[in-house]
Amino acid sequence: MKKLNISTLISFIFLLCMTLIWIFPLAWAFFSSFKDEIDIQSYGFSMLPVHWVITNYQDLLFDNSSTPVAKWFMNSMIISVTQTVLVLVVVSMAAYGYTRLRFKGRDWLFSLLLASMMFPAVVNLIPLYKIIDTLGWVNTYWAAIVPGAAAVFNVFLVRQFMIGIPLELDESARIDGANDFQIYTKVTLPLIKPVLTVVALFTFTSSWNDFLWPSIVFNDIDRMPITPGLQLLQGMYVTDIGHAMSAALIAIVPTFILYLFTQRYFLQSMSLTSGVKG
Amino acid sequence: MDVKLTENKRVDVLSPVSLKPRRKGFNVMPMVFIGPHLLLFALFFLIPIFFGVYISFTNWDLINTPEFVGLDNYKEILFNKESTFYTQLHTGLGNTFKFVIFTVPACIIIPLLLAAALHVKPRGSKVFQAIFYLPVLFSISAVMIIWSMMFNVSFGPINHYFDSAPNWLGTQPYAWVALVVVTVWWGIGGNMIIYQAALNGVSKDYYEAASLDGAGRIQKFFHITLPSIKNQLLFTVVITTIAQFNVYGQALMLTKGGPSGTTTVLLMYIRQNAFGSGQSIAGIGSAMAVILGLCIMVVSIIQFFLLREKK
Repeated sequence: MKKLNISTLISFIFLLCMTLIWIFPLAWAFFSSFKDEIDIQSYGFSMLPVHWVITNYQDLLFDNSSTPVAKWFMNSMIISVTQTVLVLVVVSMAAYGYTRLRFKGRDWLFSLLLASMMFPAVVNLIPLYKIIDTLGWVNTYWAAIVPGAAAVFNVFLVRQFMIGIPLELDESARIDGANDFQIYTKVTLPLIKPVLTVVALFTFTSSWNDFLWPSIVFNDIDRMPITPGLQLLQGMYVTDIGHAMSAALIAIVPTFILYLFTQRYFLQSMSLTSGVKG
Repeated sequence: MDVKLTENKRVDVLSPVSLKPRRKGFNVMPMVFIGPHLLLFALFFLIPIFFGVYISFTNWDLINTPEFVGLDNYKEILFNKESTFYTQLHTGLGNTFKFVIFTVPACIIIPLLLAAALHVKPRGSKVFQAIFYLPVLFSISAVMIIWSMMFNVSFGPINHYFDSAPNWLGTQPYAWVALVVVTVWWGIGGNMIIYQAALNGVSKDYYEAASLDGAGRIQKFFHITLPSIKNQLLFTVVITTIAQFNVYGQALMLTKGGPSGTTTVLLMYIRQNAFGSGQSIAGIGSAMAVILGLCIMVVSIIQFFLLREKK
């Protein structure tokens, strides 16, 4: 008979308590989004709504004068999807170049790119705005889409993965008369799907959640994505818990759904990307 | 850094690839493949970095041609005690440092405890793990909306459950406590996963040998576990520190920099000077950004060498 294991029991109790702390804000936010504002004012705190209403969501999604949440959501979707596609194309091509093509100074150039990751991005914030302004991209999707594709880390990640793939497949395709474009699309891309999936998931979520940069390049309320939009909304619903919570929940739905279906990619790849944010 | 990617590919950082040259002579193909990324990198990363350092030596206002003023901006913000910008830099950088010092230990110790508990694999550990990681997926603004309501004095649950609770966001030191709590809640998932992988890599033989020597649970943790995952601990300390130096959203949306400026972090002043209402003082803003950047860079350089060592 298996004897009762003390450390398993202690671990379980500890994890259970911590889980409750982690779940509570989300659960309360969820229930509060269905509360009537008048109930909150008159009853004070409650976990569950006294009367369940969906007016908070209706107000936010359909009465879109000062906080067009539905528009923000669509803007975010367009920006995040486009950036993901752009990053996948640019990064996989670059990784192919740095692993499969031989040219002078290749590894030296790549080391320089890696070293540049040390430079703190905070210094380029102000000039980057000027560049975006010069291109006429302020208040356009491009401002939020394109600069993110310059990141070196994704190239590094895909390159590392490609190094592990044997060259024999390329060589045999080349003997069959394939050129680099054909090898890239027909041989390489199918083989690097796992790492591209990781890059796509992380690009989409970080694009969706980006806060500081879009709050600088968007001042047109109808053009901005939802993450900086929520900051404006917070100022308008300072004590209106119902509306504030509905808006926050609408904003987290896409990444939440993505996580439900692709959890293993997030949890396995974390040791690579170490996604601690600040 | 040996890490696991999907399908157990072993990844070896910075290992050079040696390929035999296929062709001789000049080839445009490399530029076609790496060109697009290189162009974006130059235009949106490299040029802005150098430009950013340059304009910290100018009186730029984002519109007119920048005029070179030498070290004036730095003198102003570092040494001119009468200047508002002096006060901004000193309180802003001071608060940023406080934030780093308060949050980094918690963002290391708590995920380490969680990973250690998950490592025992009690019932439901997969679900627990998924839940602790979940907030990483959410944006700072959504998280801060939820937590500012959590701390709401009249309708929030925290003051409801604790009778004599303070005005969290409006008084110190509670505002700092609130900032640490939300930062831990939001961002420990990544470190937790790194520690889980690290713990899985520690050989069971060590523990058995220690047991034979009569070592207790706590002795084993300090003498076997911690030394075995030393590299991952160092790595997470560095990346967490860098991340926390960039603090912005929490202070902006939760405490609004208050009470009376005690949580206004440097990025808030940088942003206000460069993009705030009224005339832009991008030169001063850039000088502040360079100083914050230097602090981050010191940490980054340590990280770079840590990564190289694992070659």
